[in-house]
Amino acid sequence: MLWHKAWLETRGRFLGGLALSLIVGFGVIYDFRATQRLLPLVRNMDPAALDTSGPLGAAIKEGLAAQQSFRGFVWWQWYRQNLTYLVVVFGALLGAGGLLVKSGGATLFTLSLPVSRARLMTTRAAVGLAELLALAVVPSLLIAVLAPSIGQTYSVGDVLAHGVCMFVVGSVFFSLAALLSTDYVDGWRPVLIACIVAAVLGMLEYIPAIGRFGLFHVMNGESYYRSARLPWIGLIVSAGITAALLRTAAVNLAHRDF
Amino acid sequence: MSEALAIETVELRKRFDATEALRGLNLRVPRGSIFGFLGRNGAGKTTAIKLLLGMARPTAGQARVLGLSADEPTASVTIRQRTGFVDENKALYDYMTVDEIIRFTAAFYPGWRRDLEKRYLQSFALPLHQRINTLSLGMRSKLSVLLALSRGAELLVLDEPTSGLDPATSEEVLQAIVTHVSAESMTVFFSSHHLADVDQIADHIAIIDAGRAVIAGALDDLRGRYRRVQLVFTGIAPDITFHTPGVVRVRRQGRVMTALSSAGSDALIAEAMRFGPVSAEVLPVTLKELFLESVALEV
Repeated sequence: MLWHKAWLETRGRFLGGLALSLIVGFGVIYDFRATQRLLPLVRNMDPAALDTSGPLGAAIKEGLAAQQSFRGFVWWQWYRQNLTYLVVVFGALLGAGGLLVKSGGATLFTLSLPVSRARLMTTRAAVGLAELLALAVVPSLLIAVLAPSIGQTYSVGDVLAHGVCMFVVGSVFFSLAALLSTDYVDGWRPVLIACIVAAVLGMLEYIPAIGRFGLFHVMNGESYYRSARLPWIGLIVSAGITAALLRTAAVNLAHRDF
Repeated sequence: MSEALAIETVELRKRFDATEALRGLNLRVPRGSIFGFLGRNGAGKTTAIKLLLGMARPTAGQARVLGLSADEPTASVTIRQRTGFVDENKALYDYMTVDEIIRFTAAFYPGWRRDLEKRYLQSFALPLHQRINTLSLGMRSKLSVLLALSRGAELLVLDEPTSGLDPATSEEVLQAIVTHVSAESMTVFFSSHHLADVDQIADHIAIIDAGRAVIAGALDDLRGRYRRVQLVFTGIAPDITFHTPGVVRVRRQGRVMTALSSAGSDALIAEAMRFGPVSAEVLPVTLKELFLESVALEV
């Protein structure tokens, strides 16, 4: 029954995130055609008009190159941008709350039940992570399913590989929000702090020396896109961070007075 | 620690930052008793209940519930398995319906009493398919009581069960508890600052003030032991220091002196007669007077 309770408490955020992701994913598919129409215009531009010497120019050049194919377009637009943002934000939203927040004044009722705090925490985390996994995979499956409608294909294998990367790194922000929720009784500060941390990490990745070690490179599955290799080290490190954050959250919760 | 006790605390202390909520609380709640836990707002009643149910941890001292250590996490789960609880705010999950929260709660208690559930659903006229956030406080209180009583618990812990209720609903809730307890073998530990509620159903009490129990015992025994002696003098009442054991408070107002004794009145009157009062009257002490005198002492 704790599963059911956790589902009831998070379903609004989960279904909202899923709906938004599906809409954005749907938009990505049909945006490909428009992009294909625009790309020849860019190719015909005077090379001198596009300065690719700086980081911004290099990024534009890289984006243009990637988006020549549907697979590259999906990676650039969907995994590298839209889905990353969605998974970070909704990961934090799903991780926030828990015993202190959503139950509101009913926290004491929950604590009067014959279950340990560790079980409460574990159940809540398991439900939230399952929802996050669905957010990381299901909207991408829509792309694979609808791609033939625009004369393209997208493999389910790619969806699953990128889904794993999205989910594992997204879990870091989920567990960060879960940890913060054992200290803050309001629901919004853990989400805000987790998003700020994500934004700072994202900006740090623009520094060439450390960028390639960044979480977001793991999250968007760049190594899988370019060389069909999963970023195992990054995934293991991310999973380790998640486990450590959730463990700390459980210890915090166990020692908390209500 | 005695097996005859449902709850026992020894020098229980709890500090929240700069505030010492409990300052050496000693309680002995006999099994099978209806124990009224009295105190003013902020006296430490809710904190004590939280410590008993493992919702907070003591700073020092010991608490045992049903023979188990309340601050040991595994034992605390067992304690809660055998305990029904009604929270002061009667806060439940707003997003569930009455039926959903009953099914949810029942799943944690193998000894869930379907017969009691049906009985209280009927007698409280609770709407099964209504969401909890649309229920009145009275309805939520009744639902909280149903959820506590149907657990098949050995111990019922009620934190201000009638707080915020109108007299009719309050009476209905109290009657349900009394009827339930008379038919089941269980202990009830309930906190209140409503003296009438305690007077109505309790057989044992403890009065807590500033984190310590200032009076505790069987209510009939306390009523038998405590006496108010009113002495009237011809002039201003003299400033007397009584040496009789059990004198807990002396007040003077003009010609009248009132002394409260916890050890009957005979010895006190005998000592007082040496100062020549024109009259001496022995009055029984009500629970309200006992409460007011006790908490006033500790201020």
